[in-house]
Amino acid sequence: MTSPTSTLPGAPATPVDAAPAEAGGASLGHRGDAAPVLVAENLTKSYGAVHAVRDVSLACLGGEVHALVGENGAGKSTVAKMLAGAVVPDTGLVRVGGEPLSSGSVRTARRHGVQCAFQELALVPDWTVAENLCLPDGSSLRRFARGRETREAERVLAALDLEHIDPRRPVHEMPLADRQQVEIARAVSGDVKVLILDEASSALTPPGVEWLFARIRELTARGAAVVYVSHRLGEIREIADRGTVLRDGAVVSDFQRGSWTDDELISSMAGRTAARAFPAPPALEHADGPAALEVEGLAGEAIHDVSLTVAPGEILGIGGLQGHGQAELLRSLWGAEPATARTWRVAGKAIRRLDPVRAVHAGIGFVPEDRKREGLALEMGVGENLLAPWTRPHERGGAPRLKREKGWIDEVLGGLSVRTRGAKERSGALSGGNQQKLVFGRWVGRDRRLVLLHDPTRGIDVRAKQELYDAIVALAREGVGVVWFSTEVEELVHVCHRVVVLYRGAVADELQGERLTADAVVGAAVGRRAVA
Amino acid sequence: MSAPAIPLGARLRRSPGLVGLKREGAVAPVLAFVLFFVIYVAINPELLTRFQLQTAANLVAPLALVALAQLLIVLVGGIDISVAAVMSLTNVVFATQLESASPLVAGVLAVAVGMGCGLFNGLLSAYGRLPVIAVTLASSFIFGALATEVLDRPGGAVSEGVTLATSGELAPYVPVALVWVLVAAALLWLLLQKTSLGRHIYGAGSNAEGMRAAGLNDRAAQLTAFVLAGGLVALGAILLAGSTATGDPKSGDPYLLNAIAAVALAGASFTGGRGSVVGTICAAAILGLVGNVLFFAGVDSYWQYVVGSVIIVAVVGIPVVVRRLSARVKGASA
Repeated sequence: MTSPTSTLPGAPATPVDAAPAEAGGASLGHRGDAAPVLVAENLTKSYGAVHAVRDVSLACLGGEVHALVGENGAGKSTVAKMLAGAVVPDTGLVRVGGEPLSSGSVRTARRHGVQCAFQELALVPDWTVAENLCLPDGSSLRRFARGRETREAERVLAALDLEHIDPRRPVHEMPLADRQQVEIARAVSGDVKVLILDEASSALTPPGVEWLFARIRELTARGAAVVYVSHRLGEIREIADRGTVLRDGAVVSDFQRGSWTDDELISSMAGRTAARAFPAPPALEHADGPAALEVEGLAGEAIHDVSLTVAPGEILGIGGLQGHGQAELLRSLWGAEPATARTWRVAGKAIRRLDPVRAVHAGIGFVPEDRKREGLALEMGVGENLLAPWTRPHERGGAPRLKREKGWIDEVLGGLSVRTRGAKERSGALSGGNQQKLVFGRWVGRDRRLVLLHDPTRGIDVRAKQELYDAIVALAREGVGVVWFSTEVEELVHVCHRVVVLYRGAVADELQGERLTADAVVGAAVGRRAVA
Repeated sequence: MSAPAIPLGARLRRSPGLVGLKREGAVAPVLAFVLFFVIYVAINPELLTRFQLQTAANLVAPLALVALAQLLIVLVGGIDISVAAVMSLTNVVFATQLESASPLVAGVLAVAVGMGCGLFNGLLSAYGRLPVIAVTLASSFIFGALATEVLDRPGGAVSEGVTLATSGELAPYVPVALVWVLVAAALLWLLLQKTSLGRHIYGAGSNAEGMRAAGLNDRAAQLTAFVLAGGLVALGAILLAGSTATGDPKSGDPYLLNAIAAVALAGASFTGGRGSVVGTICAAAILGLVGNVLFFAGVDSYWQYVVGSVIIVAVVGIPVVVRRLSARVKGASA
């Protein structure tokens, strides 16, 4: 890699325009030999007394997409990390193309053609996109020429259909969805024999997922194997040729394309019969009181003239593609971002100045985008995190406070079925879904008028999602107005009373009743107003 | 290359150098340095004489090098408390070795000792996974004790030749100390900006987990930063020994807080991953010369610390205030 004209190894050298067309039916890919590209044999991994993965074996064929499904904590991520070389298995072996992969090093794995994109974005925030794309390959004593790397990154991004991403931009300035695409781009632009995607679509919008599928089909058409870890059953139905279901760290069943239904898969994952059913929004019976939120002409840095009304007990969905002002809208309504409005009332009271402290006072609750960074103090206990908005500096805190609030804490933890060892457990030790329930649980039973949710079900397992849906509906039934931004259109369509779709920072369409369909939401999101 | 239609201002704003400075938070300290320099020359035009330039350079050079060392540690997400002790230790090693060895050998030895100290800190921090501040606090006592063991009172054998080579003039109006600093800074800048290893040092402070997940070695980058920092501190200690013509086991003490202050003034992020070599040099120059300016302005020199603090708060604070105001103006006009 010392040659001055070095390129990204294995970056698609041929134009890719032709690939998607012929790769439409990727399931029956072109391969002739049935020798699996990636084989995992009897993988086992324990952390202390916890058996994260027990005796998992699987084989992925070239040209196929192999799904790995299971609830959070079922061991999917650990398996994916062992396949990617990031975690060393206690026992067991990973073979790539028949050769055993001496694991424990992502670098060696990458050299063997095993590329991965992780759920917890493995990008360096202060690096530019170009640096994140180019630096992982090549030795550390190599000359680094910013101009050349930038051009190289530009070429890679263009080849992958990502012209909207500026390679000069530091990653921390970009929206989550773009970051995730950069991470995927880094994985697929390498020399790919095996691609491991661990919840890589969790922040992507429907067109983003389409983009990802197109990339996957290009790779499978070239004979690569893809391991696809996801909670989104719709995606798995579309892309997966085969799959393995994990529960409590062990393989419980396998499936093949077309041979399964959502309900079967869920009950296999959960070990019980469960139906994926969206709860219906509750009847609007509090409509006589003042509106939970009434805002007219809200304007801020990325939103223009947005007017919304939310009745008490109403669930208002916010749809649209990532980066069209949804995040800014919610943050403005929470007072975390400067915004002005012609009229602005929460539960009938006029809002003049708003910051998060005043917002809590006014009866607003907020579940932010990034639960780890904005939502929780990960080093602090479960109970203290639940109490965070409710502790004033002059009040008692710590153990005495937890004791006094025990009733409420237990109610919240029980009501949301948070799986934790108790109020004193470190919240960083909880799984993603349970952490999300903590961020949400703060606002339960606390006399809220309006709760703002930023994609609360992102990257959490099916059961936790189900429980969150029920909790949101229960909250609305108590008369709380809910504003809910989701990247999963199905959620909006089924659980919300009304959906407002944002496009370029303004309301593109408002959908209700008959018109509230997934197609209409997606259509409005891309700027096409559905015909009523 | 670039289209001629773009006005100069816009082209300047998009030039890679300025974008880099901006990204690393160094625009404010560089502007502050220019302003400071103008004020200095206005109060005391004598600065531009050969003698005063030389004394000013000798005053600033050790601080600049120690500040660069501190910057490296801050880039990987730590704060090095032991810079003062490493400086004292390498200072006395250099001064005492001159008694028997040639200046070159003594210099190499001092730098090697400095790098050894860095290696010790780096191994415990990067591979032992211990908090940097605890490691360097502990090691600063060890290195400080070693320094008094080597030489328990000011002394050593710094010859006139050494003094000339470290704090004399290379050519009229070109102080040697300044040349040493600029060479060290240029090499460091090249390493940080133009090699993958340098980018890894930034990455290790920004997101070590992410680097590991991408198959990169964050620990090696962190260790490198520590070793280089040790070498830079030793270089600063050599320049100090030369300009004061003695070795002193307490000579490093004033540099600890000043070096941290310079890195803060340079706009670096103390959580790691952001910071600029150019900004740090400018910041060190400002902090090193505040006392002089006040002296020439006829202000009691006790005020220099107050003025220095005001400068830090102003340079770090003004960009934040400007950003907030512009956001409010934009919000209101939208």
